[in-house]
Amino acid sequence: MIISSLNAIALIDANNFYASCEQNINPNLRNKPVVILSNNDGCIIARSPEARALRIKMGTPYFQVKERLNKLDVAVLSSNYSLYGDMSRRLMNLLKNHCEQIEIYSIDEAFVSISRPNDKNLHPWARSMRSLIYQNLGISITVGIGENKVRAKIANKLAKNIDYSAGIFDLARTRNENNYLKRISVDKIWGVGRQTSNWLQSKGIKNAKELRDMEENEVIKKLGIVGKRLQLELKGYKCLPIEKKKKSKKEIQVSRSFGTPVTKLEDLTQALATHAIKASEKMRSQNLQSSNIRVFARTSKYSSQNYQRSAYRKLTNATDDTNNILKIVVELSKEIYNPEYKFSKAGVLMQDLTNNNYLQQSIINYKSQKDLKKSISLMRTIDLLNKRFNNNAITWAITKKPQIWKMNKNFLSRSSTTDIEQIPTIVK
Amino acid sequence: MNSFNSTTKSFKIPLLNDSVSAGFPSPADDYTEENIDLNEHLISNPFSTFFLRVKGDSMINAGIKDKDLIIVDKSLTAKPGNIIIAMIDGEFTIKRLSIKNDELYLKAENNNYPDFIFKNHIDVQIWGVVIYSIHSY
Repeated sequence: MIISSLNAIALIDANNFYASCEQNINPNLRNKPVVILSNNDGCIIARSPEARALRIKMGTPYFQVKERLNKLDVAVLSSNYSLYGDMSRRLMNLLKNHCEQIEIYSIDEAFVSISRPNDKNLHPWARSMRSLIYQNLGISITVGIGENKVRAKIANKLAKNIDYSAGIFDLARTRNENNYLKRISVDKIWGVGRQTSNWLQSKGIKNAKELRDMEENEVIKKLGIVGKRLQLELKGYKCLPIEKKKKSKKEIQVSRSFGTPVTKLEDLTQALATHAIKASEKMRSQNLQSSNIRVFARTSKYSSQNYQRSAYRKLTNATDDTNNILKIVVELSKEIYNPEYKFSKAGVLMQDLTNNNYLQQSIINYKSQKDLKKSISLMRTIDLLNKRFNNNAITWAITKKPQIWKMNKNFLSRSSTTDIEQIPTIVK
Repeated sequence: MNSFNSTTKSFKIPLLNDSVSAGFPSPADDYTEENIDLNEHLISNPFSTFFLRVKGDSMINAGIKDKDLIIVDKSLTAKPGNIIIAMIDGEFTIKRLSIKNDELYLKAENNNYPDFIFKNHIDVQIWGVVIYSIHSY
């Protein structure tokens, strides 16, 4: 086994991230049980430690536990992505300043690489990271350290499950590694999906240690190079690099579940138009243009109706102009609409994205070069005003009628860190 | 004050006007790229800086007035003499961290408000250090 590498990889993630964000910025929630609901206030997707202690389960539909939560005086909140997004940006930037490389893996976790000091002990570094993030953001993190990504992920799990770990575990420097690997069942290993897990279990392979020691040929025969890599990582070799750069986006999607099911064309069109405005804005902020615009709508997964449709329009010239895109989306919405169905979700996708820096815009789409210039400067002005005066200072009339499909966010907290009108108040 | 929406957005105030009335290039053109960016000057740790709004006059003697915008840097460790934001009994509080007879306490900068003695409360957390207050006239 190779343990010589000086470069360690750590998987750092925030504990109870959404709930911690809320508790950090709202003194009223400190030390109190807090749960966060999924989009549309459907089910519980995050819990503060206080709520965990009350044995409130992840994934529980809110309506089932509403009364119990009320009785227990649990604070219930809709998910507030402007807050979580901002806190995530702060977290990742702070991590970046204290590591050599960072790969942001999700809103609240990142792989980082870090050199081992002469005494090989990374605990002091991990402790300093934990106190830094706690002081700066009021969020506690868990640091799992290993030789590679797969083992860093395992170490992170161990750090959470072992009481005396204090949120830090270094799998590369433990004496009885086998005992620890035995505690990780195969379905909890990073990169092992349900099918692989079932196959492994059928072969009698139950945990990370047994997978590490499994006959190599058998692994390769069934799982191919991916399985081979996974097994090598379990053994301590480094196969999966830290990916510093975000892969360039293949498409931009804006989709939402409806607060109440949509049956009228007018409402479907309005929802799609609202998403299209958002998607166009996203494209422009990343200097992208789309030449394939797609819309989709579907009924609820839980209803007896099972209807899903999408429609697309390919364009000769890529565009990022909301006016052009809206016209197309309004037409496409008629194609996917069906009066017999209750739609529960709809969205727009901007596909075949190109970077508009390299784009040779032909003038076929525009009456003249002047029209093109006008479009660019109009969009730029709208984006600028919306940025300055907060979202939707300027928008399109279609969004202004009552939006009956709007997602339920009945318990939304404030945009306390991103909107000057909503910053917290100091009362005394 | 919308320029303070977020720590990454910046609001630039040009030092010189770049419009030129005549046909000749302005001799000042080479010097106009400088802007005063308040974020840059007021905020050294953007990722740990937060904004809050004052309500009331408990810090009036320190020049902090009702409705003032408060800039807080959470990365700084509070020292006696600093004006700090604390979370006390479910509320944000602004006070001066002070020391008397070797004991830390929180002092309101207004004689009508009582001092805050730590040992009398269970749930106290110093949340951040105030680095600026901005008053609108």
